[in-house]
Amino acid sequence: MSVVREIAERRASDLQEQLDSASRPAMARVARMAPPPRDLLARLTAPGLHIIAEVKRRSPSAGSMAVPRSVVEQARSYEQGGASAISVLCEPHWFDGSLDDLRAVREAVRLPVLAKEFVVDVRQLAVLRGAGADLVLLLAVLHKARALRSLVREARSLGLEPLVEAHNERELERALSSDARLIGINNRDLHSLEVDPDRAARLRHLLPDDRLAVAESAIKDPSAVIRLRALGFDAALIGEALMRSPEPAAAVAAFAAAGRPPADVAAEERLAEVKICGITDEDGLLAAARAGAQYIGLNVVAGTPRALDVGRAAQLAITARSLPNPVLVVLVTADASGRDLQRLVEAADPDIVQLSGNEPLEVLSGLNRPAWKVLRVTTGAADTVDQARAWLDSGACDRIVLDAAHPTLLGGTGLPVERDVAAEIARQVPVMLAGGLKPETVAAAVLGVPALGVDVASGVEVRGTVPPRKDALAVGLFVKRARSARFDQPQVESRPQPVAPGLVEADVRGRWGVERDLGGRYVPETLVPALVELEQTYAQVRHDPTFWAELRELLSHYAGRPTPLYRADRLAATISPKLRLYLKREDLAHTGAHKINNVLGQALLARRLGKTRVIAETGAGQHGVATATACALLGIPCVVYMGARDIERQQPNVLRMQALGAEVRPVQSGSATLKDAINDAMRDWVASVGDTHYVLGSAMGPHPYPTIVRDLQRVIGDEAAAQIRHIEGRLPHIVVACVGGGSNAIGLFARFIGEPSVRLVAVEAAGEGVSTGHHAAALSAGGLGIIHGARTLLLQDGDGQVTEAHSISAGLDYPGVGPQLAALARAGRLELATATDTEALRAMRELAASEGILPALEPAHALAALPDLPGMPGRGGEDELLVLLGLSGRGDKDMGHLAAHA
Amino acid sequence: MTRDTPGSLRVRDAFATAAAEGRIGFVPYVVAGYPEAGTSESVALAAIDAGADVLELGLPYSDPLADGATVQRASAAALAAGATLSRSLALVERVCRARPATPVLVMGYVNQFLGPTGADKVARRLADAGAVGAIVPDLTPDEGAALEDAFLGHGLALIYLVAPTTPTDRAAAIAARGGGFLYLVSLAGVTGARSSLPASLKALVTRVKSVSPLPVAVGFGVSRPAHVRAVARTGADGVVVGSALVDALGPAGEDIAGLTQLCRQLRAATTLRPAVVEGRHVGLPAAC
Repeated sequence: MSVVREIAERRASDLQEQLDSASRPAMARVARMAPPPRDLLARLTAPGLHIIAEVKRRSPSAGSMAVPRSVVEQARSYEQGGASAISVLCEPHWFDGSLDDLRAVREAVRLPVLAKEFVVDVRQLAVLRGAGADLVLLLAVLHKARALRSLVREARSLGLEPLVEAHNERELERALSSDARLIGINNRDLHSLEVDPDRAARLRHLLPDDRLAVAESAIKDPSAVIRLRALGFDAALIGEALMRSPEPAAAVAAFAAAGRPPADVAAEERLAEVKICGITDEDGLLAAARAGAQYIGLNVVAGTPRALDVGRAAQLAITARSLPNPVLVVLVTADASGRDLQRLVEAADPDIVQLSGNEPLEVLSGLNRPAWKVLRVTTGAADTVDQARAWLDSGACDRIVLDAAHPTLLGGTGLPVERDVAAEIARQVPVMLAGGLKPETVAAAVLGVPALGVDVASGVEVRGTVPPRKDALAVGLFVKRARSARFDQPQVESRPQPVAPGLVEADVRGRWGVERDLGGRYVPETLVPALVELEQTYAQVRHDPTFWAELRELLSHYAGRPTPLYRADRLAATISPKLRLYLKREDLAHTGAHKINNVLGQALLARRLGKTRVIAETGAGQHGVATATACALLGIPCVVYMGARDIERQQPNVLRMQALGAEVRPVQSGSATLKDAINDAMRDWVASVGDTHYVLGSAMGPHPYPTIVRDLQRVIGDEAAAQIRHIEGRLPHIVVACVGGGSNAIGLFARFIGEPSVRLVAVEAAGEGVSTGHHAAALSAGGLGIIHGARTLLLQDGDGQVTEAHSISAGLDYPGVGPQLAALARAGRLELATATDTEALRAMRELAASEGILPALEPAHALAALPDLPGMPGRGGEDELLVLLGLSGRGDKDMGHLAAHA
Repeated sequence: MTRDTPGSLRVRDAFATAAAEGRIGFVPYVVAGYPEAGTSESVALAAIDAGADVLELGLPYSDPLADGATVQRASAAALAAGATLSRSLALVERVCRARPATPVLVMGYVNQFLGPTGADKVARRLADAGAVGAIVPDLTPDEGAALEDAFLGHGLALIYLVAPTTPTDRAAAIAARGGGFLYLVSLAGVTGARSSLPASLKALVTRVKSVSPLPVAVGFGVSRPAHVRAVARTGADGVVVGSALVDALGPAGEDIAGLTQLCRQLRAATTLRPAVVEGRHVGLPAAC
């Protein structure tokens, strides 16, 4: 017998008499006399996931949950802990709930209260509202579509907000066909009481973004809330876990904290900005500001639906600027002459002027505000890009607003721009995407188009209002969806990158380069199925927000991200008085180098792949230590291959790996260094492919490794760009990194490849000097060939035999380099430099003496190359230079070298 | 697709001939230039004379990641003794001239073919030396088009490998692109003598043969006559033996007699039908 039907039947029979006896007018009166409803929806449009905390004494699935606190005390604890609403059980037989509980809780707290009732009769709604309920649960399982719709309508007419709950696709369809704005997905099957803990997560994608989404049941731990937030749930209903907690306030606080979007400096840079356009009154302005929009648009184009007269626009602009968090004002004009524009600007004093007509470039001269130009896509991406460039190159226009074309309508058409065309344009020039966007479509738009922001007018208005008025809830929801779409998606494109695509992304075959002639997959057949499986699994993971949300937790709480950006003034002074040098301190990450970023991600991947063993290669030992660390954390056995020569010169790291429980296998063959360790790791993998994941340590090797490692290391540059922008208000002039296999370099560079004004400098190990032939400078002195599965630049003889590399630093002592870096070098996007063993040691000492930082020998090479950089002030350059340098690791492991070469 | 090049046809014919003689094809592998050029030539000729249907000459490489310790050591020794591509090709030429009836393949790594020398030049030099083709263990058809074209242009066979981890439809696709024979790697691992072959070998061979227009030869791990007989029983068309022969040359790499003896034993084990010894059948129940 279905539990929910049993309860529903009992409810119906219990309430029969009571409902039949009360007259409709009497009930309506009771409902009207209730205190005015408290709103939850606006609260739910605030960023993140909010907690609806439930009070109950018993349930059919959990049994008794009696606590030494009264229902009111429990509710107050929830409020104290930061809940956004309280849910109160009203059903007496299975849950020991009552209407009295509802009344008492409603009086005791300031929060909205949800009546967790089994509504079987529409007349219950007035009673519940009369008892003070602000929200009511409606179960899709109990009602056919039409009945559900009418219940929703009736509830809303009473000021009672329905939460319509579903457990499967069919129920969800019914729920969505009603007008309910709040939809819940229950992990529990109400017929059998069985729990499917991933149900809500799996079905979330079926909920359009214009509804607020609530996950219910079996949420036991804050880590579950992190996942739900990443999936786009706006609330979670939590009951049992809180009832069973000895400290409910603290428990709620923990869940609420997990629901808040975590601080993520790298993410901030990629979030879409939002402009709410066509504001016609103060309410609209305030709605936009409260929602967190960056811009509002004030339209002064006479004859259009949202047109304001200049005086009114000026008033609203003043109000906008007076807000505690000011919103930038965009004045929307069309086909005004240069002189008229100046007059309008003077009168309304906006921050930005938008040109929405067919203006000629000349109108920009004399306009002393930044301008945005509206372009309508008519003849395809390339033409629009050309037009855009003409405007942007003028220097007075810094953004394009992309809108759909319409034969007659001027201004916003409300029609969407074709996604692929918009994406192509946004990849080349800075774009605000407009055109028919709405809360339910904006997230997909922002994920599919690398626009800097989105622009909306009609999509967030109350229908039928004249002049059009903004719907505050729709505005709030629009901004939330637009801003959260990219938050857990570090791999999504979010800005123009006007360089050849092959420098930024591999193709489906793993090919890099302008000609797509680098990279690929040159491996024994035995490895192909494993690489294909890795590629397919990673493809799923790459855009899975829960993966990146989980990784972010590890990177921040375990690895210590974000790493500091440190301004090294004392060192800079020894090089040039006009040098401002920032060091990105990857040496301060857990395990002392950037390797941890890649390893934590790959360990999570290994778990997704179901692998029970991990192998790795290591040169200096940093990657080996990081791998051993992650494996200890995740409980996976680990074998690290290390060249016998490297074992000798990096003993401390060997001991660390062993202390962390990894097995270190010496490699005697070949040169007994990194390349040979890779060979042995690959030989192991060929034989152990079924249960083993190979955690490759650098952005090299066969596809998909160069992509995966780059994706996991790009957090370095993403953070550094945001950090330097905060401090300096701009991106650096030059970014410098040392290159061995290339992971720290590509991690630092990735963010800047598509910024033509930023120079990228790769510093390789010159060993005893490039001319001696004893070095490791594959980019500078190597040729095209294939090593370790990828076509790239490497040191080789005429027969294709790999030449041994030579460097004092084990981490740079590699004769090859990753294919993306090789592609960048060949395309001229990278400047190349080298530093000898001696120079690196000297630079190590200089940093130690001037800043009290002991760098690893590897990044010491990058430091050594600074004085001779072309354009360094005092060496032919006269302007101030802002330089960002990757300090990829700490130098404890290299103290022996320093002492030996004193 | 090099299936019908002259080089490929010579290899396929060699397997056909063996089959007609009631045997599977015997493909020994020796490292060119090991222990040094002169001895290496004698080793190669000895392997041919001991009954090779096709000879594989390994080109020594700095980073042989598909090879186990035995071949790694031999490769390193050959390089230390001065092996280069030119010298290896000169060896190929001498061997081909001395034994024109036996098809000679080289085995090398992809950077030796698609690296600085360039596919077309390597192909031309191979063809000029008299080789019939090459096996490149770190090259799959996913990246093989350029080398296939070069080999096609010079009449050579490009031999691809199939592994136990290869799904059947992919095995079919690989076989369709290959020339000479299809090299079936018997185990998930690198080269090197093993004490026994995987129990599932017969099923593997059956599956791969069903989708291969080329003869299928099993290699990796085969080291004893018993292994060869086991391979013969699986229905494979041929067997490749490498590391065991390198081991048979002894620590100094000079024991040609040892190699010859092992080759003869392995070759003898390739017969499919019971051997006729002095008019008597062996291997049949005594009652017959």
